[in-house]
Amino acid sequence: MTTDLAPGAPDPLAPPHRGRARDRSLRRQKRLSNTLVLAFLIIASLIMAAPFLWMALSSLRDPTELARTPMPLIPRDLRLENYSEALGRAPFATYARNSLILATAAAVLNVVFASACGYALAKLRFRLAPAIFAWMVACIMIPFYATVIPVFLMVRHMPLFGGNTILGAGGTGWIDTWWALIVPGAVSPFMVFLFRQFYVSTPSELIEAARLDGVSEFGIFTRIITPLIRPGLLTVGLLSFEAGWNNFLWPLLVTTSDDLRVIQVGIASFRQEASTDWHLLMAGTTLAAVPMIVLFLIFQRYFVQGFASSGIK
Amino acid sequence: MTTTAPTTSAGTAAHAARPDALPGRRRRSVRTAERRWGLLLAAPATLHTLIWIGAPILVAIVLSFTAYDIIHAPEFAGLENYATIFTDGLFWLSVLHNVIIAAVGIPVSMFLALVFATMLDRALPGRGAFRVMVFLPHITATVAVAMIWLWIYSPSQSGLMNVVLGLVGIGPLPFLTDPDLALGSVILVTIWQGIGLKMLIYLAAMQGVDDQLYEAADLDGANAVQKFFRITVPMLKPATFFILVTSLISNFQTFDLIYILTEGGPANSTSVVTYRIYQTAFQEFRVGLANAQSVILLLILVVLAFLSRRIVGGSDDD
Repeated sequence: MTTDLAPGAPDPLAPPHRGRARDRSLRRQKRLSNTLVLAFLIIASLIMAAPFLWMALSSLRDPTELARTPMPLIPRDLRLENYSEALGRAPFATYARNSLILATAAAVLNVVFASACGYALAKLRFRLAPAIFAWMVACIMIPFYATVIPVFLMVRHMPLFGGNTILGAGGTGWIDTWWALIVPGAVSPFMVFLFRQFYVSTPSELIEAARLDGVSEFGIFTRIITPLIRPGLLTVGLLSFEAGWNNFLWPLLVTTSDDLRVIQVGIASFRQEASTDWHLLMAGTTLAAVPMIVLFLIFQRYFVQGFASSGIK
Repeated sequence: MTTTAPTTSAGTAAHAARPDALPGRRRRSVRTAERRWGLLLAAPATLHTLIWIGAPILVAIVLSFTAYDIIHAPEFAGLENYATIFTDGLFWLSVLHNVIIAAVGIPVSMFLALVFATMLDRALPGRGAFRVMVFLPHITATVAVAMIWLWIYSPSQSGLMNVVLGLVGIGPLPFLTDPDLALGSVILVTIWQGIGLKMLIYLAAMQGVDDQLYEAADLDGANAVQKFFRITVPMLKPATFFILVTSLISNFQTFDLIYILTEGGPANSTSVVTYRIYQTAFQEFRVGLANAQSVILLLILVVLAFLSRRIVGGSDDD
């Protein structure tokens, strides 16, 4: 393993008395390379963060500065009025409330239903378990964009809703209702998969012992095993919340009224409204971006765990 | 909840705690309860995915053989939609754009992600802050990201990109309105947004690499570059495969970015598959055709997943 490391590497059988001098030079080399790496990282991560800094600066800039040439990179004074002006031009508070409801519903429903399914697949033996697991894995591979049109049609033709007949014709079904926003995304197959992984690592002996003590199967799931995977609950809750808050295409398709518009769709429509008032547009964008950034900073550990196993935005 | 069963002491419970350690009748009732609750707990999620993922696929396949405009009832049209797609230049151009974005964007962002991960894997002051800064673009909604870049790419003199290029005497360039520049501008955003997640997966994989390998290499006097290419890169092969496949799949789902940044233009130079499907269904109201396009997208992704398994040949399960 080590002998084929490198042509031109120093002879591993070299006399040992040079050891201490080499140690010292190695340490010096390491310090130098750490400094270089640090310098590189500072520059590179500043470039990575620059768009966000630019967003924040622009949202606080006096609009007259935008027209000046050359424009000063750092704003003269910070105008918080941009935010109140943006809030006056579009109902961002309503948008944010709608996004909050949507994201919270997605988080709660996924935690409840996906955990139940994940637990059953990981710990309970029943005849359909392998088939259901295979189905969930297959579902993960199916992108939402490939089914969005039929899902839209199903929502629109939901029988007995929105003036529809029992056959689903005549009205608008669930279009422009909370049903349409929340129900189709209530359970994500990936979250079932993630929960299964969390439950697999819990000790089965605990289940058997609880059975011996006469605890019901439902009690074992809710009171004995699920408390062991609290980090998993938080991970799934946060990932579902993030997906709900950042969702765009689906709310765009199924909502038409301002009352139900979520913040990402609100930003897109505000763009038509404010056209080139970039100080206002960036204030609105900041309002849409900052809640997730703050949530991420607080719960970084749980987000990272979930994202590393998903690989998909 | 009262039970007549086992008399085993708590101390031996772990050993004895298998259903077959119970008396026959009780064992059977435990197995029945397990089976019943297994089905009951799995049912809601299973039914939900059958209704909202399974059924829509069937609906898409059925409607792909019809002419349907949302207002009038669908009419059977045979293979007409597929024939239309076959000769639809714009649809295949959109597929091509997806392929170009993937072919250019994924390798570049994977390389940069690997560079970041390698540097952030060691103990450095402020390591956490660097990770956050690289990862932020991923956590932010793509709509917000697209709005920010729309502003950065602004052709006016206050567009950040043109301000920076102006310092070296270039421009101003019409990044998003020139058909020759638009796709490149889009790719740059996908690279910037894609680095964070790939870095995270690489970092997770690096934690799984045994430190003794590096120590042994140190003893043999290997330098950093040798250690990187001879230890890190081979050990990261499964992670690289995972990133590649998931990146390809999410690349074919690029929509929000195009919707905000370019709306597929100028002159269709940035149209992608999902955006083309959206236009066909919700702007042209050719819903039958859009469903056929969706079926093709689904097939592309299935083939992609299958091929990647074949080509890389089992390195995903080692």
